[in-house]
Order: sequence, then structure tokens, then C-alpha cells
Amino acid sequence: MSARTRELLILILVGLITATGFASVYIARQNEISPESLSYAGFFFVLYLIAHVVARFTVPDADSYLLPMAALLTAIGLTEIYRLGPTDALRQGLWVVIGVAAFAGTLITLRHDFRRLESYKYLFGLSALGLLFLPALPKIGHSVNGARLWVRIGSLQFQPGELGKIAMIVFLAAYLHSKQEVLAQGRPKDFGPLLAIWGCAMLVLVATHDLGSALLFFGIFLAILYLATARLLYVGVGLVLFLAGSAGVYETTAHVRDRVTIWLHPWTTQAIPCPGHTALMPRQECASYQLVKSLYSIAAGGFSGTGLGKGTFTLPSGGNLIPDLNTDFIFSALAQELGLVGIAAILLVFMLFTVRGFRIALVAGDGFSKLVCAGLTFGFALQTFIIIGGIVRLIPLTGITLPFISYGGSSVVANFILLAALMLISQRANEAA
Amino acid sequence: MALASTSVDGALLALKIAFIVLLYVFIWRVIRVASREMRTPQDSFVTAPLAERHEKRAPRPGSLVVVSSPNLEENERLELTHEPLTVGRGPLNDLQLLEDDFASGRHALFDPRRDGVWIEDLGSTNGTFVNGVRLTSPRHLASGDIVRIGETDFRYER
Repeated sequence: MSARTRELLILILVGLITATGFASVYIARQNEISPESLSYAGFFFVLYLIAHVVARFTVPDADSYLLPMAALLTAIGLTEIYRLGPTDALRQGLWVVIGVAAFAGTLITLRHDFRRLESYKYLFGLSALGLLFLPALPKIGHSVNGARLWVRIGSLQFQPGELGKIAMIVFLAAYLHSKQEVLAQGRPKDFGPLLAIWGCAMLVLVATHDLGSALLFFGIFLAILYLATARLLYVGVGLVLFLAGSAGVYETTAHVRDRVTIWLHPWTTQAIPCPGHTALMPRQECASYQLVKSLYSIAAGGFSGTGLGKGTFTLPSGGNLIPDLNTDFIFSALAQELGLVGIAAILLVFMLFTVRGFRIALVAGDGFSKLVCAGLTFGFALQTFIIIGGIVRLIPLTGITLPFISYGGSSVVANFILLAALMLISQRANEAA
Repeated sequence: MALASTSVDGALLALKIAFIVLLYVFIWRVIRVASREMRTPQDSFVTAPLAERHEKRAPRPGSLVVVSSPNLEENERLELTHEPLTVGRGPLNDLQLLEDDFASGRHALFDPRRDGVWIEDLGSTNGTFVNGVRLTSPRHLASGDIVRIGETDFRYER
């Protein structure tokens, strides 16, 4: 059986899962059983069939499981977004269509040899910086929850940092691949351009309070540097710098101190002053309200969950119980409705996606492909860890999207481009075998 | 009405179970393939320069003997080191083929890895051939293989 036929069969399984999930949400909402609930799964299936056909023509030998896993995560995400608010789901559905178009576009443009991207490394480095810097510009830049990460053109909102991440990984991989011989010897001047571009990125991220992305970029940088040079010393120095930097930021930024306090002590027994309110109240009613309600939501799911469509996310008055539920906190919504069994399955899918990605990096024939592939996969895994770790209170919470699942157009489009890149690298590696 | 709500609840329960079961069937399918592939031997994806990691224990990777060439001496023997060796007409190559008009500026790369020497075409115009077959991807060299770059033939010997 060819790789693509296997992909098609497993996509049919994904279609079935989507149909059951959406039917459950639809029936719970309408309180009656109707065949309309299947139309949505049909739309999804057709969309992924198109992606499959494009893959069949452009990357026939690529990994069979990446596209189905991405399809499954996107479908689960969109189902939950629909469950939380049908208007958002419509817009998100449109973004998934754009994402699949970006996936197809990337495959078609780069089907002959993606490695030529290596010669445009500085272009990638500079566009990564440009994309990160866009939201800081007046007029088009736009703040949400104290972090200035958005670009708004007309009614369209976009978070360019997501694409910046991919451009930055391509830059780091290309630069380190071309210079790996000299870098391993550790002469400082060879690090110049690398540190300049990456340092600027870190500055922009810290200045715009995008701590989640700053952490992500830092981790990706260390990972690719280690993969290219095999010098543990660099990782050690990087971690020391990270600790020193974190301590510095902690001392100087109130915003960061608040995040750490919320992480360590979300509950207080006594009423304390609450910013923005005159009355005293316990912290769980104030600064850590969102995190605590999200923890309650996870706990409410128990072992097997309430079932899709039956969780409680609104106050009796009709307002939302948890702010940002469909972006940063979608994990806790899913945890409530799917329970431990379901959310463990979703985590397994994330893990398997990562395993497949690293597997492709292992078999890739040349250094540039290896570094891009391992870098993208590592970034994907670290991003998942940062947001889920934040939600379950393992690390301080920093707002960042859950790949493929969260509401947010830029995230969906960027992750589909990432998917296309992994499939292109996989195609090249399998073709050679 | 009571009947209707029982059937809705029943349907929701059935869907909930079906969703979880199908999800795990999906995961099982993917893990089955992943674990099978993990058992096959594989290279590391830490791409550090090989020389540095293995200079102490790795034996010399082998040598290239010139079989025929427009500018190199026939039967000349070039010892490979653990550093990758680039071949082409341009001045920046480790091995320059000055009078070979069929060789590209940067033509091919001999890449000594842990498992032996690999040859990789660097996007040359006329291609790189191993035993008469044009390379489409990096290839592991066996002793006695004839590598053709432009109009120059090398024999790889371990």
C-alpha cells in the first residue's frame, strides 16, 4: 500500500471522529437528533481530501500520518470552538480553509527542491524580525490583554509572530548549517550575525511582553545550536544566560512578577488589594481568577468528561466563566468535556506528531533539512509544553496558542506551513531510500 | 417529551463513547507504525562536524584515485580526511577541477560520516554519477565505486 493510500484510509477515520464529535456538540445544543449535524464533518472531510490530493501529486512518498494528525487536531479544535461560540467557529473555519490553501501553496512552490531556501537565509532572518516588529508599529499594531502582538488591517486580525517563528527557524538552520564547522570551534566572530538577529528578536519579544514567544524562541535557538554543533557547553551557557535574564526581567517588570505570584499562590485565604477594584478580595476572585476557574474546569471533567457539548462554561447570568477560553485556555475546555481519557489521547497525538517529526529529521539526507525539520518539530513540541504546562500550573502561564487547536488565524496558517515543510523534507528523505 | 430527552441522552452517551474509542483506534494505528520504524537502525540527528566527534576512534575514511581527468594526474591518490571535501571548478573548492569544462562551480561533496563516505551532488548542471548512475540524493560509497564529476572519474577505495 502506498504512503498516500494509507493516508487516505486514516483520513477517513479522522472524518469519522470529527463526525461523532460534532454530532455530539450539535445534538447537545439543539437537544434533538438531526442529520444536519453531519454536514460539518462533510465540509471538513472534503477540505482534507483536497489537501490529500495535492499531497498525492507533490509529495507522494512523504509520511502518511502527519496530515491526518494535523487534521484531527484542527477538527477537534474547531469542534470545541463551535461549541463555545458558533460565530467564532465560522471565522476559524475560514482560517482553516486559508491554512489548507497555504499548505497546498507551500507544497506546490517548493516541490522540486526546498533546499534552495538555504541561500536566502538573511532574507528569512530579516523577515522574521520584520514580522515580530510589525505589531509595535503605530496604526496597524493592536494590543490584546496587555500584549501588543496583533496587526489589524480592516476587520482582519493577525498575529505575525507565528509566521516569524517559522522564518526564524529557517534562518537559524541555514546559518548554522553553513557555518557549523567554524562554529563548533567557538570563535566569537562567527556568532556575530546569528546573535545580532536573534538578540533583536528577543528584545522585541520582551519589550512587547510576549513572554511565551520569548521562551519559545530561546528554546528553539538552544536546540538548533546544539543539533548543529553537538557542544553541550553552549546549552549550558544558554541556560545560565536564561536564568540570569529571567531573574533580571523578574526584578524589573511588575507584569512578570504578577505572573509568578499567580503561578505559585493562586489562592489566598484573606482578601487582598486587587488592581482595578477598590474592594479587597481573595486572589482567586481577582488576578488568578482565570487560572483558577480553568483548573476547576479541568477537575470537573473527571475521568471520562461530561461529553462534547455538555460542559459548563457560562455563568448563570450568561457571561463567560473563563476569559479567552477558545484561545489560550481551550485545553481546559477540552479537558472538561473529554475527561482524562480524552485529553490524554489529545496529548498523545501531540506527542506522536513530535515523534514523527524527529523521525523525519533522523532520516533526512542533508544537514539543512535535518536542522529545519528538528527545529520546527522542537518548536511545535515546546510551544505545546509552554501553554499546557502553564494551564496545569507546572510553569508560569504565558499566553501562547495550542498548535492546530486554539482559535486564531495566524496560528492555524503557520502550523499548516510547518506541516507542509515537514512533509517536503519527509518526501525527499523517503525518495532517497 | 420525556422519551425524546432520554433518546437525546442515550445518543450523547453513545457518541461520547464512540468518540473516545475512535480516538484511541487512531492513536493505535499511528503508534503501530512508529514503533516498527523505531526498531530499525538509524543515524543521529545531531549534525555536528564528524571530525570533532570521532577523530580519536574513527579510522581514516578512505581515498580517491584519479582514473581519468583533464587536469589531474592519472592514478594520483587523494586521502580523504574526516572533513567534508567539496569538488568543483570554482576557486573555493577543496579540490579544484580547473580544466574540466563539464564540472560546475560547486559540483559535489564527499561527506565522511560515521557509517562511511557519502557523495552528494550540490545542484550541478551536468550531474554526478556513481558507476554510471546519476545521483538524485546522497549515496553511500562502497570501495571500488567510480564517481564521475564533469569529465573527471575517481575511484573510491577504502
